[in-house]
Amino acid sequence: MAQDAPGAVGARLSPKLDEAGLIRAVQRGDSDAFEQLVRAYDQSVLRLAVNLLRSQEDARDVFQEAFLRVYRNIHTFRFDCSFHTWLYRIVTNICLDYLRKRKVRKEEPAVVDTSEGPLDRMNDFEEEAAHADPERHLWNRQLSHRIEGALGSLTPRERMVFELRHYQGLRLRNIGEILGTSEEAAKNCLFRATQKMRVELGDFQ
Amino acid sequence: MNCDTSAKLIPLYFYGELPPEEEDHLEQHLDACAACSRQAEQYRALAVALDRRATEPPPNLLAECRHGLMQAVERAQIPAPRAAHSTAWPHFREGFAALLAQFSRWRTPLGAVALVALGFFAARFSLPAGGGLSKADLPGSDNVISSVRSIQPDASGHVRIVLDETRRRTVSGELQDKNIEQLMLAAAHDETNPALRVESVDILKSHSDSSEIRGLLVNRVLQDPNPYVRLRALDGLKPFTAEPDVRKAMAQVLERDDNPGVRIQVVDLLTAHADDQIVGLLQNVVQKDDNTYIRRRCAETLKDMNASVGTF
Repeated sequence: MAQDAPGAVGARLSPKLDEAGLIRAVQRGDSDAFEQLVRAYDQSVLRLAVNLLRSQEDARDVFQEAFLRVYRNIHTFRFDCSFHTWLYRIVTNICLDYLRKRKVRKEEPAVVDTSEGPLDRMNDFEEEAAHADPERHLWNRQLSHRIEGALGSLTPRERMVFELRHYQGLRLRNIGEILGTSEEAAKNCLFRATQKMRVELGDFQ
Repeated sequence: MNCDTSAKLIPLYFYGELPPEEEDHLEQHLDACAACSRQAEQYRALAVALDRRATEPPPNLLAECRHGLMQAVERAQIPAPRAAHSTAWPHFREGFAALLAQFSRWRTPLGAVALVALGFFAARFSLPAGGGLSKADLPGSDNVISSVRSIQPDASGHVRIVLDETRRRTVSGELQDKNIEQLMLAAAHDETNPALRVESVDILKSHSDSSEIRGLLVNRVLQDPNPYVRLRALDGLKPFTAEPDVRKAMAQVLERDDNPGVRIQVVDLLTAHADDQIVGLLQNVVQKDDNTYIRRRCAETLKDMNASVGTF
């Protein structure tokens, strides 16, 4: 039953050996190299932002802000950690800011109540697929509200650790490194997150 | 194991984050305890439901984001990232100032074939050409970099500025040249500059048939704090995986290195040339390593060798 999430090994298996050359080229001011570097990571960055924030608009802003920060600050990158870790420190910091602001404003990020019941705004992404698969559409309508509520009960940090482990498949040691904490603290955070969600969702089957 | 401990371990178990020993204990407990087994099953159902929530960004959003980013870079006229010489190279050059002092006999240029070029500045900034001083007043040529040590106004309205100057010099030659090789070996040990070590090891690794360079690669694999340097050094040692000294170093890396990427590289190299002498090592790693791939690779190799996976 124990399993690695998809990409868990791939994310850290072998830092691409030509990546260092690409980074050095960006550090020398090569904008083509910057574009190549962006393309190596932008899908996973966008997936993280979309899944975490459940808003295309916010995800677009996070994407732009993160890579602009990379562009401005890459001269400070000293190969002391992997580029993936360095980039994810930037991305997770921006996302945590968004999550914290939402907590303060008590925003419901993705699920809104409508006359037809709770609606996940992110389902717009999959409208076509949903119509082709009515069962999935129904599942979305009925259960996404409960799941979003459970995820919404987490603190921004718990939500981030859960996102990085469950959806992005990163190992807890790497998550600790990204979030500037220990593996043990990341482990405790994940445990708290799963406990809260079990309480929120009850005997979910 | 009691039920409280089990409850804490179930999520970590599900994510493959438990050490093998703890995983075994938990599985034994789950087999014996219906309540905890039910809890594990509930967690599995929850995880499956959460998996279905995962959303892939639509392709047009990615395209929009890429386009928007490049436009923002142009629109904001953000200056290109500072050239590398403003960061890594000064440290490299500072380190080399002391080093090159030992090579003062190099007063004539080395060979005509310029394969390797090394320079240095031991200064924090360079004077802008003609910036308030006539060219003749500037200290020497472009090869001289200065930093201001002190500034003192005098009664006549002049300012007395004391400059520290360092002369830059470039030496070039083939890597086979012993002097060049020695410089490169020293650069590969420069503690202040990981980028310099990466570059040096990267060049040296293609000459690992030299025993001195191989010794350096072994040293870097074991000692370098930067995983990129260790990975490059390992790359250079690949052809020598059967050599006893290299295998000994790799065994130490597999047991001690804190970077899973490095350990994975080593476990692949060691198990590709498996022999009886690594059985104990592999058994140990199967028990202790927290990386699933590494444990699996060791266990598979032990099975292929008809050796027991556990120690008794």
